[in-house]
Amino acid sequence: MTNSSNCVIAASNIVKVYQNGSEELKVLDDVSIRVLHSDFMAVLGPSGSGKSTLMNILGCLDIPTSGKYYLDGLDVLKASENELADIRNKKIGFIFQKFNLLPRLTALQNVVLPLLYRGIDEEEAMELAREKLTLLGLADRMGHKPNELSGGQQQRVAIARAIVGSPELLLADEPTGNLDSKSSEDAMVIFEELNRQGNTIVIITHDVEVAERVKKLVYIRDGKLYENN
Amino acid sequence: MKLKQLLKMILINISQNKVRTFLTTLGVIVGTATIFMVVAIGKGGEAQVNEQYSRLNVGTIMVMPAQRGRVADPLTAKDAQLFLESQNIAQAFPLLRGNGDINYENYSASAGFAAIQPGFQESNNLVVGQGRALDEEDENKKNRCAVIGAELANTLTDGSPSEIVGRSISINNRKFEVVGIYNRVGDSGSGGSYDDTAFVPYSAGERFLLGARANPTIIAQARDIDAVQSAIEDITASLNENHRAGGAEQFRILDAGSRLVAAQESARTMSMLLLAVAVIVLIVSGIGIMNVMFVTVKERTREIGTLKAIGAKKQEILKQFLIEAVFISLAGGVIGVIAGFLTIPVLKYFELPALSSVSGVLLGLIFSVVTGVFFGFYPAMKAADLSPLEALRYE
Repeated sequence: MTNSSNCVIAASNIVKVYQNGSEELKVLDDVSIRVLHSDFMAVLGPSGSGKSTLMNILGCLDIPTSGKYYLDGLDVLKASENELADIRNKKIGFIFQKFNLLPRLTALQNVVLPLLYRGIDEEEAMELAREKLTLLGLADRMGHKPNELSGGQQQRVAIARAIVGSPELLLADEPTGNLDSKSSEDAMVIFEELNRQGNTIVIITHDVEVAERVKKLVYIRDGKLYENN
Repeated sequence: MKLKQLLKMILINISQNKVRTFLTTLGVIVGTATIFMVVAIGKGGEAQVNEQYSRLNVGTIMVMPAQRGRVADPLTAKDAQLFLESQNIAQAFPLLRGNGDINYENYSASAGFAAIQPGFQESNNLVVGQGRALDEEDENKKNRCAVIGAELANTLTDGSPSEIVGRSISINNRKFEVVGIYNRVGDSGSGGSYDDTAFVPYSAGERFLLGARANPTIIAQARDIDAVQSAIEDITASLNENHRAGGAEQFRILDAGSRLVAAQESARTMSMLLLAVAVIVLIVSGIGIMNVMFVTVKERTREIGTLKAIGAKKQEILKQFLIEAVFISLAGGVIGVIAGFLTIPVLKYFELPALSSVSGVLLGLIFSVVTGVFFGFYPAMKAADLSPLEALRYE
């Protein structure tokens, strides 16, 4: 891998097989994907196409059956459990379809969490979290709990949590799936702005409208990746 | 994550489920309070035993009628004399005790009296504070004189005891002249405090207060601690020889040492029993904690997945849930100790001796923490072991 260091993601020949009883289910079939710095990419596919599995592998939440995967030059498949946690903490910012905010914590406490797991001083972490929340227009909502916020606001808190640690990669799983069209539009504007600032973004989605907004689009169908439809 | 932030998060989580947390702690509260009380009762019992026997020399042997009330062939002062023939016995005094009305001028008290021989005073550390002690002449002449305890003197004179020396009191309507007052000795063994007793010469008490009903106890002193057993044998032999009717069978012979041991043993048995109860309560409450923690882990499965996705390591999840369990049990422990403190007056009301102590507090708290760690570990391990992917998918 001579040029893997230029890539945020350099995954090749990824195969993922699930064992279902005696039946083998090949969810990902020889998938290779390369994401460069400041890319803004969408992986578009219907449900059951294997896109969630791809997202889990790219997000270091799951391990492929075979293949190679370098994230920001690190060989993910050789990492220990603790090293994977470190990679998720420092290199990846997750944005989930259902936001996955901790319900008992305030917006600010949610955003600050990844920094606390990194061992950053609480004062400093709070300052960074406030900055990101303000940037996303939630300056007056920091003390609110998730159930006191609208869906769009919750997604913005989740985005703030994803970007607060300045990760190499923002990984969004159906980020507009639980939002109305207005909030979806807002979220996409935020993603575009974040990309303009140099963030590398990969969105996994089945939403064609989302796919139209990105710079680079790949399709996934039956476990295979295609450059064009 | 630093401990302070972790604790903050745990507090937020716990406070969200106050009722459940409280119900979980109940068992720990009861268990810890029980442990605290076990120690308190143990210490109290120990203190009581020590106090009761503090004035009793371990070489002391008491000989008393086996049954209350009239005895066909009672002990006499002569038995005490006969006991002294044994080389193993240094001292032997007959002692008569009784209760009655004691009057002085306008004051009266219902108190105990004791008829003693002069030597009894030294062997029981009775020291005269005012006036004089009872002496051989009083004994020989059956003098109707009395030396009274400090507390009794106070009661009879309404707080100015010195005036009573040289005046006469009546014990069960018999007049006795007060010749002295003993210094305060504090609580004594069974049969009421010496401070609240009027002492008269043995001969006078036998004649004027008890007459034919005289049924004395003999208090003997073994030469030393090793001679106690031989002394008891000698006493038994003497009784068999001189009380033909029933021999030594009709008397109880008690030595202070074995009484002390028996009392300590029964106190210890009580403590062990209560401790066993406390441990069982804590085990049951620990299982309760484990159950609740399992439910909590289940409920928060998705959260655990999220935390792992944003970078929480296995040991951090373990730490979080373990500390949460310990926190719950420690809170129960603290409340339990407080409950234990509040229970002590109740125990005292029912005349169970109980003493609060630092060791009771520590033992209670340590047990509660151990319960939390022990029973919280398995659920916390389950939480830590969750695969982030499975946890995130959990609905």
